[in-house]
Amino acid sequence: MKKITILSAFAAIAVLSPLTQANDLNINGFLSVGVSMLDNNDVTLDGFDNNGNFKNDTILGLQISKQVNDKTTVTGQLVSRGSDDYATESAWAYVNYAASENLDLRLGRIRVPFFYYSDFLEVGYAYDWVRPPSEVYSIPFSSINGADLNYRFSLGSWDTNAQLYYGRYSPSGAGVDLKNFTGLALSSTSGNFTLRASYHRLEIETDGTGSFGTGNTAAVAGVTALKPLLNPTNDAAIDADIDQVAVDFALTGQELGFYGLAAGYDNGDISAIAEYTQSFADTPFFTSNTTYLVKVGKRFNDLVGHLTYTATENELDSGLEGDVQKALGLENKQNSIIAGLRYDYDTSTALKFEIQNHDEEIVNGAKGESAMLYTVAIDLVF
Amino acid sequence: MIKFKPTLLALLLTTASLMVSAETAVIVATSNGNGAIDKATISKIFLGKTKSFPDGSQAVPIDQNDGSAVRESFNSSLLGKSSSQLKSYWSRLIFTGKGTPPKQLGSDADIKSLVSSNPNMIGYIDSSAVDSSVKVVLKF
Repeated sequence: MKKITILSAFAAIAVLSPLTQANDLNINGFLSVGVSMLDNNDVTLDGFDNNGNFKNDTILGLQISKQVNDKTTVTGQLVSRGSDDYATESAWAYVNYAASENLDLRLGRIRVPFFYYSDFLEVGYAYDWVRPPSEVYSIPFSSINGADLNYRFSLGSWDTNAQLYYGRYSPSGAGVDLKNFTGLALSSTSGNFTLRASYHRLEIETDGTGSFGTGNTAAVAGVTALKPLLNPTNDAAIDADIDQVAVDFALTGQELGFYGLAAGYDNGDISAIAEYTQSFADTPFFTSNTTYLVKVGKRFNDLVGHLTYTATENELDSGLEGDVQKALGLENKQNSIIAGLRYDYDTSTALKFEIQNHDEEIVNGAKGESAMLYTVAIDLVF
Repeated sequence: MIKFKPTLLALLLTTASLMVSAETAVIVATSNGNGAIDKATISKIFLGKTKSFPDGSQAVPIDQNDGSAVRESFNSSLLGKSSSQLKSYWSRLIFTGKGTPPKQLGSDADIKSLVSSNPNMIGYIDSSAVDSSVKVVLKF
């Protein structure tokens, strides 16, 4: 009986509104187009330079999802990024099984819930910035192959989503394998407030080839090459210690990860978000990194003005490992101030203007410079 | 006691809004087994946070067309969100495959006729358009 009424409801929908999704096949898309200019070529920031860049913020996404049966939905999202010469990648490609109203199991290619904005990282329309600040949003990939479990529950006025995932990522041509990728993200909302906490860890291994592997091999060789500098007296014990650091630099399955905390508020008029991450690593090849951002926004009808301060800073290890890291120029400390305007042209188009002052206090162990980045962008959802 | 509270609140809201302007009525089919439904539950149904009515039956929310005065009032008074906030809310869910917004199925008359014949549907109309074909679960 229940089934028939649901079916007739959908039949009614299909008849009444032929433009909406026939047979529950949903097609959605998003497009962002941006133009940016950096005023100082000595500063490295998101791939921009002092000639107009028309493609780094340009992203096209198309998503198809279909309910296959009562419990099962398939979703695919193809994303084409200007920063990647418009190569098309599946950001999402999964089958979802709704085990109960509160529990979803997904298998396939999923976005990793690294950060507050990760789930909709490239849907510019869904946030005020042109792009989330790379001080915090610094992970160069966003999807892995694996499975996850989403469980929703309520406590008082707080609605919580707990997401547990497991997977693996080995990008072609990079010579790196990220294994036993595991994490947990908890996100709770109550009225205008959102709180989020997450934890992520993996094991990293390289075969020494590809864009990433050759970099690791070079670093390992660099450690050994430091012997004359760090051990001018040729002390055998120190020599052995440096060899051990070189061994630890080589990525052979060491643990790597980070945890993140975030809090957001949005009453439609005033909004604020703060996000913090702290990384850890079993190998001195990666330094321990602290990042954060604080953003406030104020809405004036169709216009949102926002201001962000964001910073990243790493901490070198103590002792010989730290001396090696310092000598290899792994020290970094950078920050940005971002001021922006978002104008909602209509309910699916946003026009954005942004000015970012990026300051490289320390870049690869040396004093850096600062630069201004100017961006105009349009974000659409359809 | 807890059960009385929302009803009381609804009553208060009703009296208050009577003095100001037109009311909005949240409606279900007369054959729908639920009595009054509180604001929080209706909000959860329309924001895709729950897929069922309090009695456990499936709930299919339907929206009025974009830009209608009733929809504006429903969004701001009941859901407490502006239309651009809602658009952004839904774009976050759509592109993670976590949900789709209620379908937009016309104005008062269209919504009323659809809801009246589908016990799983829930919609909202200007209360002046309410007649015996539907049941009002909340007025505000």
